Amino acid sequence: MSRPYLIASCGIVAAAIAAAASVAAADNRPHRVVVRSFAFEQQRLEVKVGDRVEWVNEDIAPHTATAVSGEWDTGALTRGQSAAISFGAPGTFAYRCAYHPQMRATIVVTETEADGAAH
Amino acid sequence: MNRHRHILLAAAAAVVLTVTPANAENGVLNDLEIAHAAYTAGEIDVRYAHLALAISENASVREFAATMIRDHSAVNEAALTLVGQLNVTPQDNDLSRVLVDTATQKRAELKAMEGKAFDCAYAQNELVYHQLVNETVEGHFIPSATVPELKALLSEALATFKVHEGHAEHMVAALGCST
Ligand SMILES: [Cu+2]
Repeated sequence: MSRPYLIASCGIVAAAIAAAASVAAADNRPHRVVVRSFAFEQQRLEVKVGDRVEWVNEDIAPHTATAVSGEWDTGALTRGQSAAISFGAPGTFAYRCAYHPQMRATIVVTETEADGAAH
Repeated sequence: MNRHRHILLAAAAAVVLTVTPANAENGVLNDLEIAHAAYTAGEIDVRYAHLALAISENASVREFAATMIRDHSAVNEAALTLVGQLNVTPQDNDLSRVLVDTATQKRAELKAMEGKAFDCAYAQNELVYHQLVNETVEGHFIPSATVPELKALLSEALATFKVHEGHAEHMVAALGCST
């Protein structure tokens, strides 16, 4: 099973990223999750295999999006910073902010209907 | 703990009452004094946190302290940016001075402790301190601030500090400290 991996953006350095094949289509638009008022805007976000999810922090306080399993982590996002993760395999990924443990949400990754033709 | 809370709140109330008549016709802190006191309150919590990182060996206490440093530093950085944009200088005042004096005493107390006694004293102080600061920011600073950007920053700071207050409450409960 391939694991999600981090595409660093805005100078964020990816930390402790599991190795994975580059499954994501290079030019697909990421799903955007705004982090605001100490919450992830979408409590549950459904995406397809190969999709990217991008987190953008709008709070003064730094946040992270960190898989509860430890598989992936955006690292610290200060105000205005963003980072994206690509999801290469189906699954349900619970994540939280490493700094504010009450901030929790879930990414659900499902197979594309016609696998391989969807992009 | 309740005793501590009452002492701190009484001190804060006394300060607000003492400061009030000394200042302006409106009987409130002015924007520059509010900015100074809010910045000071953040710096104080950063110093408590550094003490916790130096003394505590409890992982959840250390994580909390690291978050206090990260968040309060970010808020104070935003405050400095605003002060720069407005081209003003925050004013020292009685409330800032009482906050500093009270914190100096508290740090001396904490420095003499270790182990669970320290963790509990730090955690309980963080809870009481954030309650006090939040009541002051919400009840006095935000209503009194006249510069819209300052009001907005205080509101966002308050949201942050309220999360800290909740976090501190959990930490106190999880440590199983006697009250
Ligand atoms: Cu956070």
